[in-house]
Amino acid sequence: MLLDTKEGIIVTSPVVNMNLATAANAFLIFTIPILVNQLIGTKSAKIRKVHLFNNVAGNTNVVIGNGVGIGVFVALLPALATMNNLEDIYGEHGDLPEVESFANITAYPAALLVGGSVDIQLELAIIG
Amino acid sequence: MTDLYIFKTQVGMFDPLALYNQNVAIHYVQNAYYRKVDFLEGMPPFQCINLGALAALTPGPRTAVPNLDMPDNEFGLFRWYPIDDAQIRLYHPAGIAKFQLRNLQVPVDMNVVVRDPNLVSTEIAVWENNRPAMEAINGHAFGLGAVRIIAIGYRFHTVSLESGANADPDLVKAMKSGKEPCTHVFCSGRGIGD
Repeated sequence: MLLDTKEGIIVTSPVVNMNLATAANAFLIFTIPILVNQLIGTKSAKIRKVHLFNNVAGNTNVVIGNGVGIGVFVALLPALATMNNLEDIYGEHGDLPEVESFANITAYPAALLVGGSVDIQLELAIIG
Repeated sequence: MTDLYIFKTQVGMFDPLALYNQNVAIHYVQNAYYRKVDFLEGMPPFQCINLGALAALTPGPRTAVPNLDMPDNEFGLFRWYPIDDAQIRLYHPAGIAKFQLRNLQVPVDMNVVVRDPNLVSTEIAVWENNRPAMEAINGHAFGLGAVRIIAIGYRFHTVSLESGANADPDLVKAMKSGKEPCTHVFCSGRGIGD
């Protein structure tokens, strides 16, 4: 696909522990680089990999998108399944559409067992 | 002096069109300025403009590119390509279409990096603050978050051979007659029929 010619600098997000469910509690996963009057150009991020680890959260889904809040959050991808107490890895060339985000990336688990959580980390290509 | 020409092709970064102390004739619309290069430096690839978000199936407004402006007495030599999937129409200056055929103004899209990896077909020169302008066309059924353009090239500082401390009427006469070499640098498009 031609978009593969988009040059990108590979970075990773921090590991974020998501211990609350629903879009109202969406967690900030990755911040688009911006430094007013210093950084030249508009940056965007293409998600290359999603790494999930389910900490006894039950079988559930993780939704990745932009924004926080019900009615505000907009998904970038369909929900990704995560299995109870297992890790799940999704990759750009196998599982993920080449979505590109121009806003900070947030995510939330659809539901959690009491006391459970999901760890998430992204690998991204910074474009621009 | 065989290295004095525009539209150079080679693998990798392109060469400057003139070196230190070499003569140039800068053409802007119908004017020509005879000058000599006394400084040059490279311009690494940089994002010269973000034409902004663009709705589905929409052409954007014609937008000046002030980041390609040059200081007084200077001209820039640039090649460029978009990194978002729009077609770009270039105007230089804003009222004159570039890449103009009789029936079609040729746009530039992301394919250019595959079809013309040296970007030779996108080469433009900018004289002082006579900036180009661009229009983006989104043919997709979805909106684009941004339309960003990357430029790469050279900056040339020049001194006038026609007036001032470096004036040399004999040299200018020889340049005009072709007896002395100079690189002709076209810093604008040209209207059909002009």
